[in-house]
Amino acid sequence: MPTGSPSRGSLDTFIASAPTLQRAGMRALVALARRPRGATLLGRVPAAEQLAQVVTSLARYDDPELSRTLGWDGAAVVARGRALRRAEGRP
Amino acid sequence: MPADGRCDAPRDGHERPRDAIDHPAGTTVSIRDSAHISAEVCVIGAGAGGAVAAAELAEGGMDVVVLEEGHWHDPDTFTARPPEMLAQLYRDGSQTITLGNPPILLPLGRGLGGTTLINSGTCFRTPARVLEHWQREFGLDVSEESLRPCFERVEEALSVGEVTPELAGANAEVARRGAAHLGWSHGYLRRNARGCVGSGVCAFGCPTSAKQHTGITYIPRAERAGARIVTGARVERVLLENGAASSLARANGVPVARGVQARMASGARVQVRAPIVIVAAGTIHTPLLLARSDLGAQSGQLGQNLSLHPATAVFARMEEIVDMAHGVPQSFYVDEFAGEGIIFEGVAGPPAYAAMSLPLTGARHAEAMADYRRLAQFGVMVSDSSRGSVQALAGRPLIRYDLTDADLRRFRTGLARMRELFEAAGAREVYLPLPDGVSPERARLRDLKLMAFHPLGTARADARPAHGVIDGELQVHGVRGVYVADGSAVPSSLGVNPQMTIMALATRLAFGLLGREVEGSQINEEAACHS
Repeated sequence: MPTGSPSRGSLDTFIASAPTLQRAGMRALVALARRPRGATLLGRVPAAEQLAQVVTSLARYDDPELSRTLGWDGAAVVARGRALRRAEGRP
Repeated sequence: MPADGRCDAPRDGHERPRDAIDHPAGTTVSIRDSAHISAEVCVIGAGAGGAVAAAELAEGGMDVVVLEEGHWHDPDTFTARPPEMLAQLYRDGSQTITLGNPPILLPLGRGLGGTTLINSGTCFRTPARVLEHWQREFGLDVSEESLRPCFERVEEALSVGEVTPELAGANAEVARRGAAHLGWSHGYLRRNARGCVGSGVCAFGCPTSAKQHTGITYIPRAERAGARIVTGARVERVLLENGAASSLARANGVPVARGVQARMASGARVQVRAPIVIVAAGTIHTPLLLARSDLGAQSGQLGQNLSLHPATAVFARMEEIVDMAHGVPQSFYVDEFAGEGIIFEGVAGPPAYAAMSLPLTGARHAEAMADYRRLAQFGVMVSDSSRGSVQALAGRPLIRYDLTDADLRRFRTGLARMRELFEAAGAREVYLPLPDGVSPERARLRDLKLMAFHPLGTARADARPAHGVIDGELQVHGVRGVYVADGSAVPSSLGVNPQMTIMALATRLAFGLLGREVEGSQINEEAACHS
């Protein structure tokens, strides 16, 4: 379990898995959203702002430490699952 | 079959594979160099339809080869982190999108298990009213009675049972409380799970292997019965004896299946010679494969009639701690409005998932997420009358789908009633997936934020060759030996999650090919204890 790994890495993996057009669009949106002037620009186009929100929040809240403060410990869920699988001989 | 019950190589007379991937039940064959394989049946795809057909046919004594484009996903690689898992387990990283008004996100699984690997595990039998519609409109010989043994058999194989209130968690309890207060019909869902502990990440790879997806149930059964499973194989064409279907038809001949031609990721070519080919590549890709193979186009219905069950989700901020990802995400339903084509089903997930679907921006989004533990979420799914299409564009599927006014009205109604449900449950705030200031009653198509999980109908069954791609026995019209066993065969929107319907039809197809009656819930003990 790559707990503590940078969320930006998993976001890059996510974006890289998209079809070409979406990949380019998402990279542009993320780049804009990370700059103050870009974020202001996005605010003028609600649909684009919403899409940027989707992508950037997926990365931000994937952070294990932030997740734990919100009551979700993904590492513990995975560890429990693996232990159960091994104990019960599941696939 | 080898004495130890494992099948790790093509049968005698065929080129041996160069490598093999360990798999819980046996060995999944992967091929690097060109190969020729012979079998009685070639199944394309290892999802809900293909895996079931392959296992039943192999256990029935047939020599089966399964070609799957994806791979076996080892549960040890499941991290419960949405971005990684979306990239790993879904086709195109879950970012398949329809073109139309509004655009709709259409996530599809890829690998052994197909979409059953990443779905919510909800199990409904085909509603009786839908089967009656199929008899009436499509001339199909299907009824509750005739499909009952198929459903029984699938349900036993997948350990289908109702979710308990304890496992359903607090998110379901919010919806239950609201529905009970309003007197709306509701209940706990039936799911294909065994030993579930409510990890809350069904859509991101079950870390306990509790969800009984076909990759850990039917595929191992198929392997134990001698089927060869080739992963990483993209099928290019279904091959026919004596050439292409159209030229044979012109000569008044009946085309007969000869096998398939596939290409491995390494570039190696694989030819499977088989007199029976079962296409189960999924609703989006099956019509493209048939079209590439010059099959099924005579009726003009190939790639048409796409239904999706478009859906959206509503959030609510409650007084109590909900911890939506603690429990089974899809464990509860409200079917009070099923007659109008609207059903409510639970949805939930970890903070990253909630954050990307929460319909707020900026400071309001951050503020609501800071109170994630009190957020509840529920989905609105529509049994659509809209129909779309799939065609190939530069080798990729181009999916067109426009929502009709009738379905827009269903969403308006569904969203208004979902708000009512949350308010009845005591919500402090309800977050509808609509732009600021737009009420459900005034929502326009472009205001909707939709996803869809149940594509169906693009190679639909109809007894009449002029109206459907396949007949009532799921055989492609005008061709001998080519069958379709996935969601594309389902001729109309179901109004409920389709995996059981697809599996039941695949079961019926397999027993039809074996020339046997379906044996209800009498799966052999060995298969049951391993499933």
